[in-house]
Amino acid sequence: MDVIASSDATLADWRDAALTFEREVGKVVLGQERVIRLLTIAVFARGHVLLEGDVGVGKTTLLKAMARAIGGAYARVEGTIDLMPTDLVYDARIADDGRPRIDPGPLLKQGGDLSIFFFNEINRARPQVHALLLRLMAEGTVSAFGREVHFPHLQVFADRNRIEREETFELPAAARDRFFMEVQVTTPADREARRALIFDPRFHDTDRLVGAVREGLFDHQRLADIARLIQERIHASPAISDYTIALWDAVRAPHKAGITLPDVRMDRLVQGGASPRGLSFLVRAARVRAWLEGRDMIVPEDLRAVFPEVMAHRIFFDPVYEMRRDALAGALCRAAFETVPAP
Amino acid sequence: MRCSIISRAAEAAALAALLALASPVARADSIALKAPRAFGYVIGDTLTLEAVITLDPGAQIDPASLPQPRKVSSWLNLVATELTPDAAGHLRLSLTYQTFFSPLEPRTLEIPAWPLTIRQGDARRTLTVPAFAFVTTPLRELVASQGGNPMALQPDIAPRPFPLGGEWRRAGLAAAMAGFGAFGFALASGWRPFARHPRPFAAAARALRRQGDPGTPEAYRAALLSLHRGFDATSGRRLLAEDIGAFVRQSPRFAERESDIARLFAASRTAFFGAGAELAMVQLPPAEVVAIAARLARTEARDRGPAAAPALEEAAS
Repeated sequence: MDVIASSDATLADWRDAALTFEREVGKVVLGQERVIRLLTIAVFARGHVLLEGDVGVGKTTLLKAMARAIGGAYARVEGTIDLMPTDLVYDARIADDGRPRIDPGPLLKQGGDLSIFFFNEINRARPQVHALLLRLMAEGTVSAFGREVHFPHLQVFADRNRIEREETFELPAAARDRFFMEVQVTTPADREARRALIFDPRFHDTDRLVGAVREGLFDHQRLADIARLIQERIHASPAISDYTIALWDAVRAPHKAGITLPDVRMDRLVQGGASPRGLSFLVRAARVRAWLEGRDMIVPEDLRAVFPEVMAHRIFFDPVYEMRRDALAGALCRAAFETVPAP
Repeated sequence: MRCSIISRAAEAAALAALLALASPVARADSIALKAPRAFGYVIGDTLTLEAVITLDPGAQIDPASLPQPRKVSSWLNLVATELTPDAAGHLRLSLTYQTFFSPLEPRTLEIPAWPLTIRQGDARRTLTVPAFAFVTTPLRELVASQGGNPMALQPDIAPRPFPLGGEWRRAGLAAAMAGFGAFGFALASGWRPFARHPRPFAAAARALRRQGDPGTPEAYRAALLSLHRGFDATSGRRLLAEDIGAFVRQSPRFAERESDIARLFAASRTAFFGAGAELAMVQLPPAEVVAIAARLARTEARDRGPAAAPALEEAAS
């Protein structure tokens, strides 16, 4: 009883910290409340995130602010076409004494304490680099200098440029499935926020802007424990599991669920995907969202709030419809929630 | 032998007698021409000559000598011929000619004679259909006596009236059937004037009344579910607790029921996703659920919105 009471109190304290964290990041990144909420969910679900969006909408600023608020080490790599896995792990150079030296690269420089690793323009890097990243995300380990390095607190954020398609390597389905969420970052819709972003000099110097964020709002080394506690404490009723499975069925076979989208042959739209791993990620994210909303149970709204980001990139469409993925995936997710009865 | 000579002589005598009898009859072939009037024809008119032919018994007209429809001359066509026997044993040869002669003044023209070959056994002779003369006249004056262009096209002949009564009746019948079909289709599709106003809350309230007091957890959940389906049908999508604000904006007549709706959804959360129906029944007593359903049904009935939301089918049941 004592343990439960204390864990409840811990969760309540951490929830306050998480909401403070959202507010702090929200001061720096305007008009992205939904993205910040999703990234907070990812932080407390210990999931890796692929950010997708236009150039210059503040993805890097957002991640820098988050890294500062979370605390712990932060490393960043730019994806290029000639980047090799060893470039991430080692830093090969000529030392002051004129002799070649191999030092730990961006990934290893901070040791096992690395908390956020940001991979910019991931689709510019080659599949070899994707493979290294896959292992880093799935196992949290890297082999270097003849030993295995563990990253117990690591969270990977990657960013994909969705406009350019030349000289890029599309991420394989397996790699995309490892990402907990795929979040679209768009230009803020709010007029005031846009006006401030353009005219307020506070937003012109991003380093000073990020410096305004309170550092180390919580102990990042305890995040994994808290994440586990959230998953244990938030309750999922039989009704919500039935609902989740009905949603899964509706997304996998939309024509059987009676979903129709304009100009789409529903029996051919979905080729596969929506893996069990994806569904488990969905429930994980829903639990964190329920916790952030101050509830001890998952409700359909939690699933709806995280569904497109967690599930859409795991659904594979017929090649005919793949080019219209952005519009169709969103419409399919919306239609599933409008069709499947809840509870 | 002698006997046979005698009989041959007798045969010869009999044949000679027969020939003597037959030959005056053979010369009795005759032809009489029955012609129409011999004047007053203009370009394009047809004339039918009828030749009544009387032949000897046993005589025939050689079919090859019968005239065939053809161009007789530059201005005359033979357009039809017909040879028919009549009741009196004569043959009637009908010849229809058409004249294309355009004279400048009245003028006599002649349809030429036509020789027919008559065969009687091996004998052939000729019997001639006589020529026929007629007067043809011009269609118009040579010099125009009145103003205007004599060569101008004359107005078309007005068409004859065509009896349309049957067509009118059939068209009316088809239009009536089409209208009836369109009416039935509109009725079945619930088009605007025939749009049914689904009353999902009324249906839910009725179901709850029939069911009686939802005192058991199962009945309580069923009652909540039927109300949820009512909300789904009214809003046209699956309504969750966080959508109550949007729902009230969409259907403003439910604004006065907003607190009821919020309590209902809170209880439903507890019943389905939280601690269970038993606790929810404390939070919102079963009798209160029935009362809320009745209130929602009343609100729904009071003021029909301008457009009924697209109903989900299951809600009606």
